[in-house]
Amino acid sequence: MEKWECTACGYIYDPEVGDPDNNIPPGTPFESLPEDWVCPQCGVGKEFFQKIS
Amino acid sequence: MRIIIVGNGVAGTIAGKTIRELDSQAEILIYSEERHPYYPRPNLIDFLAGIIPLEKIFAFPEGWADRQRLQINLGRKIVGINPERPSISLENGEIVTGDYLVLTSGARPLSPPLAGLEKKGVFTLRTLDDVLELLEYLTSGPEVLILGGGLLGLETARALCQRGVNRVSVAEYFDRLLPRQLDENGAGQLQKELEKIGIKFYLGKEAVEVLGNGSVSGVRFKDGQVIPAGALILASGIKPRTELAEACGLLCSRGVLVDDYLRTSHSKVYAAGDVVEHRGKIYGLIPAAFDQARVLAYNLCGQIKRYEGTVPFNTLKVAGIYLTSIGLVNPENGDYEILVKHEPEKGIYKKLILKNDVPVGAIWLGVKKGVQEISRVIQAGKSLTGYKERVFDDNFDFSLILES
Repeated sequence: MEKWECTACGYIYDPEVGDPDNNIPPGTPFESLPEDWVCPQCGVGKEFFQKIS
Repeated sequence: MRIIIVGNGVAGTIAGKTIRELDSQAEILIYSEERHPYYPRPNLIDFLAGIIPLEKIFAFPEGWADRQRLQINLGRKIVGINPERPSISLENGEIVTGDYLVLTSGARPLSPPLAGLEKKGVFTLRTLDDVLELLEYLTSGPEVLILGGGLLGLETARALCQRGVNRVSVAEYFDRLLPRQLDENGAGQLQKELEKIGIKFYLGKEAVEVLGNGSVSGVRFKDGQVIPAGALILASGIKPRTELAEACGLLCSRGVLVDDYLRTSHSKVYAAGDVVEHRGKIYGLIPAAFDQARVLAYNLCGQIKRYEGTVPFNTLKVAGIYLTSIGLVNPENGDYEILVKHEPEKGIYKKLILKNDVPVGAIWLGVKKGVQEISRVIQAGKSLTGYKERVFDDNFDFSLILES
């Protein structure tokens, strides 16, 4: 699964880890995160993330 | 290696952070005239709206900079730079020298040519301090007029409505909203939706004078109309802060000129973010500043990388309205093919701009499904040949294109 990086702060969303603090279980692909999910580090929305190639 | 970074916005911060990732030994000093640690600017809008508290707008927890061994000096205004030494001068006369300078001083709000801007109650929204000042002024309950129907103007209007400000109006010089990110159809649709949440619009209006005796009482427009307002917010665009670069002879046009390696015209000075002009473009967008800062850091650390531009990507989220604008949305000549799906009754408008079947721009309004996917198609330059009839279907499987 693909990792995504926050363009505001550099946080990396790793689907294998998920975001347990915000009830996102491991194994959740970035595309399946809820629309109102925000970067757990800096708080910007999903639209500021880009796929790491 | 000792690197001095001017500015602690997204470009300066990501540059510093990335240099540290690449070089554990480098001395990294960041100077900023702002007194607050780094925050992503979109968070200011949510703070203004009252959705997030002050402490939530900052990107990094306390102690982060120390752990990264970034020496961040806040509230220090830089008054000059000297590429030859290389060094910077601070307001108190202190001079700090290093091996390289990184110029990430950002942009400032454009001041429209308008009389009376010095009156009390005129605001710009660029920094956290700007927002704090506005919030204090709003406690007196003024009617708010925003000059500029671009992204910042609309986001601000939305935020003020959410905060509960009673009367919010937007005046725009063009005859439609978001002239850079939308076409006529899309702008009309968006305007209708925004009017539903209580924002009032005045289009095709050129402001000429701020009225009021000491404090703002309204604005007079070229056609003679007067719109009353107790607070005026200027949101008519940004201007790169080129003054430090110009004063020391670095080549500038509208922004500080940089090459594909993010070098300015002096080999010891690099630059990134809203202050730069790259291949004729000033982006004013977080993803572009981020890309540039990363490439800059790699080049400074001896790992040569090229920056070839960023596909502009804008989104606006307003109480149930989703708008995304990617790349080229208003082509100027006929070499492009336009695909449109418009369902006014559902508030949905989708448009794709193709060149030889390859999409180069998109508008997605009223719907978020497919946005990430179409953005990836555009960035990857994939062809839509064979899928043009189906690409707007709600359950179109983009992996057919992305994995081809």
